Amino acid sequence: MGTKEDLIQIVGSDNVVTDKCILETFRSDLSFHEGETPEYIVKPKSFDEVQRIVWLANEKGFPLVPCSSGGERFKGTTIPETKGAVVVDFSSMKKIVRVDRRNKVAMVEPGVTFAELQAAVEKEGLRLEMPLLPKPEKSVVASLLEREPTTCPKYNWDAIDPLCCLELVLGTGDKFVTGNAAGPGTLEQQWAAKQAQKVSMGPAQTDIGRIIQGSQGTLGLATWATIKLEVKPSIQKCYLVPANDLEDLIMFTYKMLWRKLPDHCLILNNINLSAITGVDHSGLPPWVLVYTISGLEYFPEDRISYMEEEIYEMASGFNVQPVQKLGGVSGDKLIGLLNKPGKAPYWKQSLKGGVKELFFLTTLDKSSEFVTIMHQKAVSHNFPKENTGIYIQPIRHGTGCHMSFNLMADFNNAEEKDKVKILYDDAGKAFLEMGGFFSRPHGTLVDAIYSKCPDTVLALKKVKNIFDPKGVMNPGKLCFGEEV
Amino acid sequence: MSNISALKKDMESCSRCSHCKWVPMAQIKSSRFAKICPSVDYYHFHAYSGGGKMIATNSILEGRSELTDNVAEIIYKCQLCGGCQVSCLAYRDDIDLADVLLESRSKCVDEAYVLPEHLDVIESMKREDNTLGMLKKDRGNWAEDLDVPNINTGKVDVLFHAGCRYSYDEDLHRVAVNWVNLFKNAGIDIGIAGKDEACCGGRAFEIGYQGEMKNFADDMIGRVKASGAKLIITPCSDCYYTFKYLYPKNGLDAGIEVLHATEYAALLMKEGKLKPRKNVDMKVTYHDPCHLGRRGEIYRSGWTGDDKLLRPVRFKQSGMLGIFDPPRDIINSIPGIDFVEMERIREYSWCCGAGGGVYEAYPEFASWTANERIEEAKKTGAEAIVTACPWCERIFNDEIEANAHDIKVYDVVDLLFMSF
Amino acid sequence: MKLLSKDMYKELEDAVGKEFVSQEPVVLDGYAWQPIFNLTNQKWTPRPAAVVLPETTEEVQKIVKICNKHKVKFKPHSTGWAAWGSPSEEGELQIDLRRMGKIIELDEKNKYAIVEPYVCCAQLMAEAMKKGLTCHVIGAGPNTSALASATSAWGYGGTGLSTGYSGRNLLGVEWVQPSGDILRLGSPGSDSSWFSGEGPGPGLRGLMRGFAGTQGSLGVFTKIGIKLFPYYGPKEPKVDGVLLDVQVDVPETEKMFFVVAPNFQKYADITYKVGDAEIANWFTRSTLAAGPELFMPRAAKKIYKSKPIRSLLQTFQHQGVILLSSVSKREVAYQEKVLRQIAKDTGCVVVDLSQTAGYGFWWWLMGVRSIPTALTFRAGGDFLTSYGSPVEYDNAIKQAEVATQYKQKYIDKGSFFDDTSDIGWGGIYEGTANWGHVEMAAMFVRSDGKASERMEYLEESAESTVKQTLGLGLSNLPPGSWKIYGPMLNNYHLWQARIKKALDPNRVGDEEWYVPPIDELEP
Repeated sequence: MGTKEDLIQIVGSDNVVTDKCILETFRSDLSFHEGETPEYIVKPKSFDEVQRIVWLANEKGFPLVPCSSGGERFKGTTIPETKGAVVVDFSSMKKIVRVDRRNKVAMVEPGVTFAELQAAVEKEGLRLEMPLLPKPEKSVVASLLEREPTTCPKYNWDAIDPLCCLELVLGTGDKFVTGNAAGPGTLEQQWAAKQAQKVSMGPAQTDIGRIIQGSQGTLGLATWATIKLEVKPSIQKCYLVPANDLEDLIMFTYKMLWRKLPDHCLILNNINLSAITGVDHSGLPPWVLVYTISGLEYFPEDRISYMEEEIYEMASGFNVQPVQKLGGVSGDKLIGLLNKPGKAPYWKQSLKGGVKELFFLTTLDKSSEFVTIMHQKAVSHNFPKENTGIYIQPIRHGTGCHMSFNLMADFNNAEEKDKVKILYDDAGKAFLEMGGFFSRPHGTLVDAIYSKCPDTVLALKKVKNIFDPKGVMNPGKLCFGEEV
Repeated sequence: MSNISALKKDMESCSRCSHCKWVPMAQIKSSRFAKICPSVDYYHFHAYSGGGKMIATNSILEGRSELTDNVAEIIYKCQLCGGCQVSCLAYRDDIDLADVLLESRSKCVDEAYVLPEHLDVIESMKREDNTLGMLKKDRGNWAEDLDVPNINTGKVDVLFHAGCRYSYDEDLHRVAVNWVNLFKNAGIDIGIAGKDEACCGGRAFEIGYQGEMKNFADDMIGRVKASGAKLIITPCSDCYYTFKYLYPKNGLDAGIEVLHATEYAALLMKEGKLKPRKNVDMKVTYHDPCHLGRRGEIYRSGWTGDDKLLRPVRFKQSGMLGIFDPPRDIINSIPGIDFVEMERIREYSWCCGAGGGVYEAYPEFASWTANERIEEAKKTGAEAIVTACPWCERIFNDEIEANAHDIKVYDVVDLLFMSF
Repeated sequence: MKLLSKDMYKELEDAVGKEFVSQEPVVLDGYAWQPIFNLTNQKWTPRPAAVVLPETTEEVQKIVKICNKHKVKFKPHSTGWAAWGSPSEEGELQIDLRRMGKIIELDEKNKYAIVEPYVCCAQLMAEAMKKGLTCHVIGAGPNTSALASATSAWGYGGTGLSTGYSGRNLLGVEWVQPSGDILRLGSPGSDSSWFSGEGPGPGLRGLMRGFAGTQGSLGVFTKIGIKLFPYYGPKEPKVDGVLLDVQVDVPETEKMFFVVAPNFQKYADITYKVGDAEIANWFTRSTLAAGPELFMPRAAKKIYKSKPIRSLLQTFQHQGVILLSSVSKREVAYQEKVLRQIAKDTGCVVVDLSQTAGYGFWWWLMGVRSIPTALTFRAGGDFLTSYGSPVEYDNAIKQAEVATQYKQKYIDKGSFFDDTSDIGWGGIYEGTANWGHVEMAAMFVRSDGKASERMEYLEESAESTVKQTLGLGLSNLPPGSWKIYGPMLNNYHLWQARIKKALDPNRVGDEEWYVPPIDELEP
């Protein structure tokens, strides 16, 4: 029997896509990368189907490339690197299995989008921790597995957050459930025993969930995930703190994080703030710290008011001025934006249509140095400053920060696209040298990123060999370019 | 004979928590000065710690290992400062760690694992009644110019016992002289034994020759009784510890009150008999001598049970009743003094390095220990370390000179004298 | 007694210096005495063949490579408390990391430190406090290694609500693997600073530990970046006393309360609400009924005989201690207002502890430095613990209910001291996260001849945790536990065994507290 027939037997003929035009769309995306056209796309609907697909891939030796989110793709993760690949499209696995108000956790399948989950958790009086305005079709599970930063550093304790537990089909085809969901007992028995699959650690002396996170589908496939939720505030206020110089915001941000006062807390340059709000950038200050404070169940006004007083006092010590309106951007409007997934068109594309995002981790105190270098590089490559959106997101209580440069251009214009390509590479390599940590390697920088850590590569290859010994999971990605 | 077997249960009770290596957790103020045990901090292997020495001794008692020269060295490489015991007893009621350390030395001596340097001390004690290898006839030289009664010729209210080092160490004669003059000037009927004073015997006990102490104690008790004194004052913290802890623990009772010179001076100050007057503009810190501080705690006698888990807390030798406040009270009463504390003070003080026979047998270890303390003192910004023990003063002075540290050493009485 | 070959011994001497290697039997016995978590009920553990004291990562690497060359197993430890810190069989090399005790960096702004293995939590905390920060301290106390707690052990600290869980506070990690290869996890592996432990790509921290660590079975962790957390109290408080006599002046913005609930359910309710309200710095169930056993063990024996006093103590069975902490009076006033309202809504009572003269003891020893756990040794010189999975707090409370019954059975038998079988302690961790633990400590005298009963209790407690709560108790990962729990939990042991095989090709890591390599489990 051929692969197609085997796949049809597993998922049914309606769920095996053979249409060349559709298959062709996986050959490339808005990254600069081009790969191979997959042979098929399969759309499993259950764990069993996924597991059988992985068994089949192991048996027949074809590669699997997972894909969960709809809409346009930006990072090249879902582009097959080798011929004969089968894309596993999780968009049909759309169950929100459970939302647990008391334990503040939800269990979702990989096809569930932020928009869908957000609506479901709000009904329970809960709040979903999201990346900054994700595209509406973005899969929650994909985002969690990609270790995307969320916007409230206060709730972000460890790099794995807000991901809790995972149900996995590993590259070998074995089932594995991580965290306290692993057992003992079935999920139903655990629920009856008042458990809720919220503890990400383990089981026992290994964190396979942590290993899978960031692996870009190269080690296994997730069939559900649990996500940590927070209480939905009864009141929220958003403040903007303008500055001409990024440095002027840094110490104030550190202090606010130390006091654990803000929920959302992020820094945007005027280009990104404009892209998000639609307000023209020329009327905006070069830098804005955006933060929210909230009232919860008890005495919400009191909470807001003491926090306002505390922050105003702190702000005067740092010579900064939190305001609720700024150059046509209101805090109220921003609250609406921050609490929901983005809308089409995706904000990163709103200015020029095309965007290449250069992102990495560093610490807040070093962020200005990266901005300076980016501006120098942009000048040397004749790339307009107005086309560079900058986003700085403190993570893990402010222990580090995600730093992102959106290089916006019209990708239909070959010259502009090339310019972005060159700038991306040049700045990316400079940032690597400066100590920028590319924890999520993508695109043309992957080799440069891994050349910095040969010991890690060696260990990763051992890991790949354990979880995907036949190399069927998204081969060619990360440092798994050569035979493992 | 060593009584080590009686302490087997104490040894077996060690949970290996290693609190004995650290300053009590509530008192750790920095990473730099967080340790309490010089021995394990210098030699590192666990067997050098208080708990480790208990495990080692128990290992020998159980026949798992043998007492060898190397093992004896581990046992002797310890100042018997008692810091481990303070940290242990903060949590535990049933382990008398310092007693194990003392008895394990006695076992070494019983089995002839002795150090030549310690033998010299014992020989000197036997022959010349002092620990320093000096002649007995010279013991009274320090007091040649003093106009005080000698108890051999008349009765006194208070007997001043100078101790071996103050008697023989010429650099430190001034301390003994000054104390006596101070008390005399305060109207105290004080006398000395001059060349007839003998060693208290405590050092012999500490280095394992427990039986030797009894001879000195009997001598001491006889002399005191003959003097008619109602009070013994000593400026030496080693002697103080011997009188307050070792004698009563071993059933040797002089039937007379003993005070350290700083205790007595503080008392006289309270009574208005001593009053510092002159300004002494100096920033100083105070080093608690182990044997005046935690080890100077009076022996808490009266409990005779077997199961220390049932022993009431008041019989626990926790170290907190040592002499800590009198020297501080004196220093603080001197006008102009800017007194600052080190991080490790009172019962959790770091040792000067000279005790337990280490000064004689392991000078490098002693020197390292002293330098650790000097560094701690320097960190306070003090111009001087003030202390109240001749051994501490000796080693600090030597190390400060050898290493060109920018800090001085004074006895408490030196400050008092500056102020009079 | 097994010794190392002369060649190997000489190589070790060359690697670290003669004075830092020993095969003196008495010295080795110093590493063969581990009463705690020694589930054989023995105090002696197998004597190592030698002990070595490295000072640098390079020395550790040399030692591990020598072990590979000579196929000799090794076991590293930091502060070295408990049976897993020592070799499990004779002939192994003990690596004592106590010469690696530096706080290499303390980054005030980014709230992390880089520490070596022998930095104890109290040292790290003392330095962090000077910069308005603190660290997590596991229940065993601040005498434990901050690095070992985070990399290699398990354990829960009372202040976890604001300081998390050790295993999740790791950032960059320097790891001498059992093969002798050095791996720097996360950002330091890419020549960046130590603020991040994951990537590039997969989070390899997942190899080295789960909710539990591998107890020194999988190489040597020589440096870590460790998260620190805001601390709002005085930077260098003036503390008098050493333990029970401690006195400290506490600022009025540090307030502690007893929270008393009428039953298990209400206690869980108030705990959830406190977490959701984001008001507390820590909140831990503590046991008033065990208080006499901890603070006055001799009197306790009489106290517990009195029925009226027992009844009084048990009235306060469902009790926790909560700390409200801030630099601001306004904030603490708000927190207190919310706490009182929550208590009203849940039918609980709050009593202000900070108004009493002895409050400084509670604030400093429990609220900040996490010291009093070691008092469990006072009553009988030993204790054990069970139940207490890291789980959703409702389940933790369920474990408490179950534990109370089982422990009572063994108190009745005389295997443990009577403490009214109140549940030990445990709270919620990580702010709003709603997970935590409640474990059951039990005190005893090891020499009382009741060892086999206690082993029985441990088995029964492990079984009842699984059966009645679907949790894994704290004592549930002793040597060989994978044989029972592996099949219950996705055969995790086989994955661990594959990791063991991949990282330790010569099988030199002592695997007693971990797993054998896969070819032994699946020949």
